[in-house]
Amino acid sequence: MIEVEALSKRYGSTTAVDGLTFTARPGTVTGFLGPNGAGKSTTMRVVVGLERATSGRATVDGRRFADLPAPLHAVGVMLDARSVHPGRTAYAHLLAMARTHGIGKARVREVLAQTGLESAARRRAGTFSLGMGQRLGIAGALLGDPATLILDEPVNGLDPDGVLWVRRLVRELAAEGRTVLLSSHLMHELALCADRVVIIGRGRLLADAPVQEIVDRTGSGSLEEAYLQLTTDAVEYRTDAASGGAR
Amino acid sequence: MTATTATPRAVEGLSATRRPAFARVLASEWTKLVSLRSPWWTAAVTVVVGGVITFLSAQASSGDPGFEPVDSLSSGLMLAQLGPLVLGVLVGAGEFRTGAFRSTYTTVPRRWPVLVAQSLAVAGFALGTAVLTTVASVVGILPAAASRDLPVDLTAGDAPALVLGMVLFLVGLALLGHALGALLRRTVPALVTALILVMILPIALLMASDPLVAGGDPASLAAPDPAAAPTVVGTLNVLLPGTAGGLLTTSASSGPMDGSPDLGPVGGGLVLAAWIVVLLAAAAVRLRTRDVR
Repeated sequence: MIEVEALSKRYGSTTAVDGLTFTARPGTVTGFLGPNGAGKSTTMRVVVGLERATSGRATVDGRRFADLPAPLHAVGVMLDARSVHPGRTAYAHLLAMARTHGIGKARVREVLAQTGLESAARRRAGTFSLGMGQRLGIAGALLGDPATLILDEPVNGLDPDGVLWVRRLVRELAAEGRTVLLSSHLMHELALCADRVVIIGRGRLLADAPVQEIVDRTGSGSLEEAYLQLTTDAVEYRTDAASGGAR
Repeated sequence: MTATTATPRAVEGLSATRRPAFARVLASEWTKLVSLRSPWWTAAVTVVVGGVITFLSAQASSGDPGFEPVDSLSSGLMLAQLGPLVLGVLVGAGEFRTGAFRSTYTTVPRRWPVLVAQSLAVAGFALGTAVLTTVASVVGILPAAASRDLPVDLTAGDAPALVLGMVLFLVGLALLGHALGALLRRTVPALVTALILVMILPIALLMASDPLVAGGDPASLAAPDPAAAPTVVGTLNVLLPGTAGGLLTTSASSGPMDGSPDLGPVGGGLVLAAWIVVLLAAAAVRLRTRDVR
C-alpha cells in the first residue's frame, strides 16, 4: 500500500510535484501516467526516500520509507536503468543488495532465473542492452519478495517478449495481493495491465480512477485519447492559473 | 491499513530477522568493492610502484658513504601513495557517478551506515594493499643492502615504527580519498581536490617557504639555523593531510621539517585522522540532510 498525501516537491522556484494525493492499493496494478516532466519520477523518488518532500507525505504500509524495518522486503524498487555500477556483474550487484538484508545466494540465482538473466549473470552491467538493464532492475525489485513494487518505466527498451513478460509478471504480482505502482509512457500497455490509473500533469493530479471509468468519463474511445484530452486540459488550466497571478 | 494486510506472504516474519543490520551493510559494501576491477588494478599498481621506486631509490643511494638501507624504505611511497588515494576516491564518488546510489539508498534508506561501512571496506582493502606495498618496499631495499653487505634489521631502532607508519599512511590516504569522493560525489573534482591537498599544495608551500623565494638573505643560507622557528607557511604545510600523514613514514628522531612545528609521526598521523573524520562527517551531513539525485 502506497499513500501519497498532499505531496509537494519544489527545487528552488520550480515546482515538480504540486499537492499530489493518491493511493496505490494491494492487489491492484496502479498505472502512473503523465507527460515528460510531469513529476512521475520525482514522486517515485520521494516515495522511496531518495528525495525529501517539501510538504505533504508519502508512506508505504503506513510508514515513511526510511522508517521501514526491512526496506527490501517491504518495497521492491526499480527506478532507472542507471542504478547499477557498470563495472559490477549482474550477480555481484544483486548479491550486494541481498547481503544488506541477509538474503542468501539461492534467492539471487532465483531472481536471475526469473528475469531470464541466468546466462548474463557474470557479465558486467555496463555491457548490458537497455532491455537487459531493465530485467536486472526488475530482478533487484523482486529480490526481497516485497509486498509493494514501484517500477518506473519497466517496459522501456524491452523486446515484445519482454513486454509480454512484464505484463504477465505485474498481473501475477497483483493477483498475489501485492501493491504494484507502474509508470509508463505506453498508453496501450497500461490499458492492458493496469487496473487503475493515476494521471498527473505538471505535478498535479488530473485523474485517479479505473481505466474504463476514465475512458467513459472523458467520452473518448481509448485510454490514449482520454490521456491526451486530460493533459491538454491541464496545460490550459495551468496557463489560466499563471495569467491569473496564482504565482 | 496495517502492513500485514498488504503482505501476501510471511514477509513480516522474515523482516524480523532480515533487516539491514550494520554487519550486513558492511558485508554488502565489501562485496561491492571487491566485485569491481578498479580496486584490484589500483592495488596492483600501488604495490609494484612502491617496490620499484624504493628499489631504484635504494640503488641510487647505495653509493653514499653513510648509506643506511632502512632510510630508503619509504622512498617509493612518494608515488605509491597516489594508489590508495585514487582507490578511495573511486569507491566514494563511483557510487554517485554511476547512479548505483539509487539501489544502495533504497536498500538502506538510513544512508549513514552505508557511508561508515564503505569507509571500513576501503580501510580493509587498503590495509591489504598497504601491507603488500610495504613488503614490496622491503624487498626493494634488499639488493642495495646486499651490494654493500649491510644488514636489514626491521626489528631494530626506528624500523618497526617506520613499517607500521607506512601501512597506516597508505590506509589513511585511502580513507582520505574515500571521504573526499563521498563528499564531492564526482570523480574528477574529488580526484583533483585530493591531488591538490596531498601533492600540489605541499610542493607549492615548500617553494613559498624557500628563503630565496621569500626574499631572504642568500648569505644566511650558508649556515641554516637548525632550530629555526616554525613559520606560518611551514605550519600550514605540516597541517595538510598528505604532509602530516607523511610524518608517519619518518622516524621520531628525525626532527621537524624546516619551518614546521615538530608533530612527530604520531602527531602527523593524528592530523591526517582529523582530516578524514571531518571530511567524512561533512559527507555524512550532506547525505543525511540532502536529496540524493
